[in-house]
Amino acid sequence: MGFLELINFYVIPGVVLGSIYALGAVGITLVFAILRYAHLAHGDLATLGAFLALAVVTALGLPPLVALPVAMIGTAAVAVGIDKAFYEHLRERPKIVTVMASLGIALMVRSVVQVVWGVDSESYVRGIVRPENYFGLRIKDREIYTVVFMIGLVGVLQLFLVKSKWGKAMRAMSDNPNLALLSGIDNKKVVMLTWIIAGGLCAAAGVFLGINTELKSMMGWHMLLPMFAAAILGGVGRVEGAVLGGLIVGIAEELSVLVLPSEYKAAMAFVILLFMLLVRPTGLLRGKVL
Amino acid sequence: MKSKFIAIAGGLLAATALAGATAKADVKIGLIGGVSGPIAAMAPSMISAAQLAFQQVNEQGGILDGEKLVGVVGDSACNPQGGTDAATKAVNIEGVSAIVGPHCSGAVLAAAGSVTIPAGITVVTPSGTSPEITGLDDKDTVFRTVPSDDYQGRALARTLKEKGYNKVAVAYINNDYGTGLADAFKAEFEAQSGEIAGFAAHEDGKASYRSNLAELASGGADTLVIFDYGDGTGLTILRQALENGFFEKFVGGDGMKSDAPINELGAENLATFVASSPVGEKSDSLDVFNEAYKAAGGDPDAIFVTTSYDAAFMLALAVEKAGGDKAGVSAALREISNGEGEAILPGEWEKAKKLIAAGTAIDYKGAAGDHNFDAAGDVPGTYALFEVGADGFEVMVEMK
Amino acid sequence: MELIGLANYALFMGIFIGIYALLALGLNIQWGFAGLFNAGIAGFFAVGAYTSAILTSPSADGRLGGFELPFFVGWFGAMVAAALIAWPIGKICLRFRSDYLAIATIGVAEIIRLVIKSEEVLTNGARGITNIPRPFGDLPYVQSQLAYLAIVAAVLVVAYLMVQRQFNAPWGRMMRAIRDNELAARAMGKNVEYRRLEAFIFGAALMGLGGALFAHFNRSITPEAIDPMVATFLVWIMLILGGSGNNKGAILGATVVWIIWSVSEIATDQLPHEYAVKAKYIRLFLIGLMLQLVLRFRPEGILPEPLRGDTRTDDNAVK
Repeated sequence: MGFLELINFYVIPGVVLGSIYALGAVGITLVFAILRYAHLAHGDLATLGAFLALAVVTALGLPPLVALPVAMIGTAAVAVGIDKAFYEHLRERPKIVTVMASLGIALMVRSVVQVVWGVDSESYVRGIVRPENYFGLRIKDREIYTVVFMIGLVGVLQLFLVKSKWGKAMRAMSDNPNLALLSGIDNKKVVMLTWIIAGGLCAAAGVFLGINTELKSMMGWHMLLPMFAAAILGGVGRVEGAVLGGLIVGIAEELSVLVLPSEYKAAMAFVILLFMLLVRPTGLLRGKVL
Repeated sequence: MKSKFIAIAGGLLAATALAGATAKADVKIGLIGGVSGPIAAMAPSMISAAQLAFQQVNEQGGILDGEKLVGVVGDSACNPQGGTDAATKAVNIEGVSAIVGPHCSGAVLAAAGSVTIPAGITVVTPSGTSPEITGLDDKDTVFRTVPSDDYQGRALARTLKEKGYNKVAVAYINNDYGTGLADAFKAEFEAQSGEIAGFAAHEDGKASYRSNLAELASGGADTLVIFDYGDGTGLTILRQALENGFFEKFVGGDGMKSDAPINELGAENLATFVASSPVGEKSDSLDVFNEAYKAAGGDPDAIFVTTSYDAAFMLALAVEKAGGDKAGVSAALREISNGEGEAILPGEWEKAKKLIAAGTAIDYKGAAGDHNFDAAGDVPGTYALFEVGADGFEVMVEMK
Repeated sequence: MELIGLANYALFMGIFIGIYALLALGLNIQWGFAGLFNAGIAGFFAVGAYTSAILTSPSADGRLGGFELPFFVGWFGAMVAAALIAWPIGKICLRFRSDYLAIATIGVAEIIRLVIKSEEVLTNGARGITNIPRPFGDLPYVQSQLAYLAIVAAVLVVAYLMVQRQFNAPWGRMMRAIRDNELAARAMGKNVEYRRLEAFIFGAALMGLGGALFAHFNRSITPEAIDPMVATFLVWIMLILGGSGNNKGAILGATVVWIIWSVSEIATDQLPHEYAVKAKYIRLFLIGLMLQLVLRFRPEGILPEPLRGDTRTDDNAVK
């Protein structure tokens, strides 16, 4: 197999898939670090985001990338609403209670998607797009968008976390919640910000998955486990770690076909994760140990 | 606090009891399908096709003494847990006379083993294709209107070979449907001295299959045979194969003969795509059904709608023939479709009802085949190869 | 609706509740006693179900099997196999703390599921194993359901008594000590790693037994049964809702959640006819909402863990 073939058919799809995983994993890692529980409704929120964008695309005839901000805002609002309505009351309880609640939310969100949009496979744009040829590299425009948007979104988030007052507050909450609360950080605002960011990124993950394949009501649920693997692989609480983890999981899944029977593709993320947990339990980028 | 739960559960039960009491006069047939779960996209059309059969019965004088025939929808979620739960409710709470479904083989096996066989209720699955269903010790109560994978896989292999496909790669979904078809296809295609240049299963629901496709294409085949569902993972695979130019020609099993590829990918891109699907033997049954289903707002190209419709209509005939006796349904089911007697086409309920009342033998000619059940309750099936034309799928050639 | 139908439905629910209660009890040993976040219940459930299926079913072409041993041998084998699988997994994974353990065990369960689905020689692959004998399966419908319910109930009672005994024994106190304050327990000279592994294996054995009971009830087992939603998360919901750390709570949780799960379908069926299919989606919404309500108003579970340990100390206090 030639080098170009390896890049074209294994690495590029892996990077695109990895970028989608990364968008979801960043949200998961933030929720994990700041609110300290595993949010199992993340995949289904991504589905909701993808279908919100579909509603905009079909109603207004806009391209999906223009619908993306609407979907992100909508999903962020839903995420904040879910937190206010359901998770907020459980904050003082053992974290496992919220994990279970998020499982129920996953069912509820999926059910809303199925009732409103039905269960058929949908796509934003009918027809197929053949890749362009750049010096032997076969890349589609939408794949470039996916990667560029992912890097852009995460870059902006990183800037926000490092430079802005509220970003610093979020990092403080993640590093040491007691100290952060003592120093007068408004917990409620931090929580809300976390959900706005996580919800928005979730929607982006769903929309880009929809752009690159199809929209299905179970699409997000199927992505949940690889996204979790990516978040933990990168180190909990580390945004750039989640991106790295997402890319590694994505590329590894695609490359796994070379060495494993293809029915074991879905196991690849976990094999890497188990191996990593054994040799480096903090994740690649020294996240926090829960 | 405990009393709250009891109150909620009690309320639910009471609501059920109330509804059960009002609907007592109707004759019920269970429609158990994978409404939630992995085949969620396929289940609604399968159920609506079965409902069409019941609607026709009711419009043409109803069942037995003019009673209303009602389809009771149950959700098997495509797993054994949901399948047994839904079947238990259908049999015991709703008191159904027979069941169309469950859709997935695992749910069929579990529901049959723990509920319907012991309770003596006849089930006809329109889509459970596992060969394990053939070997069930079922007291002759488990039937299917979908032919077994083995037959279709072999017929497809022979037809392709005749059409000049000599070297193909096979991608199949890793479940009973995909493995059954793929194994049979492979055995027959190789026996006909064709070459399988790639043979790989894939897991459902992943976002990218490009590396799988690259691996399959590396064998040098120009044709990809896909055994998957056209509105599920099969669509993703077909799209990615087309977009990246891994293969030139594409062949699908009956699961791929779905409108989803045409709607999502565009007919203009599917010029080299063919799919096999069960058809009636030299009858216009399929056309009759297509027209009726289109008029009812359904899409006749959706997967397994013909088998679902046939299963529902035949069970209605069998209930009529058995005079409403649940235990007699399975014997009656064999009588109304054994190749002898006056032909009944889809939707001809009034005619069939008169003939049954007169004691004349009838023979249902279904949209998906003649459904003359063999000893195990399976049907042999007849297939045609379809291509994508201007208005959807068109028959290209009959398969032998 | 006839009364006999309702009774049949109740029998069926009883059997399923019994099976799920076993899984929840197993999880209670792991999470309630030892604080181990095992999110791979489906894996042990599957190992148990398939082991018993292979040991007891008649031979079939192309797969391991044909031993046709009596069902109780199969059930015992299921517990042993689940425990044997749990041992290396626990050895490797138990060093991870809480959420890491969860994701690691989810991963292991997924790998087990893929192996079962793909290795035809072992498990008949995606087609599953059929013709598994069911004890008293030759009786008529109602009697055979009754007999099976009696067996499941007996197994559950025995399991409950044994777990409850351990819970009140010094072993249980030690486990809770390790869970609540690992450092202190370690300082007291307890072998924390070994004890955790012990709890993990015991719990897994019960889950394997639950799987075996499930396979024999349905007379078949297919990979579709190893769905994480119905075989892992549902059990977690049961335990948390019932009250983790409390064995009665685990059983009660299984009862309440399964009733909600099953009866919600009947409730949504009351919607008008044209919503028959949509009702199934609404049902999932209803299940999710019920879960929220219970967690909102009863976050420590319906039967919370008894404070200050066990009943015996309570008795002493009274005396």
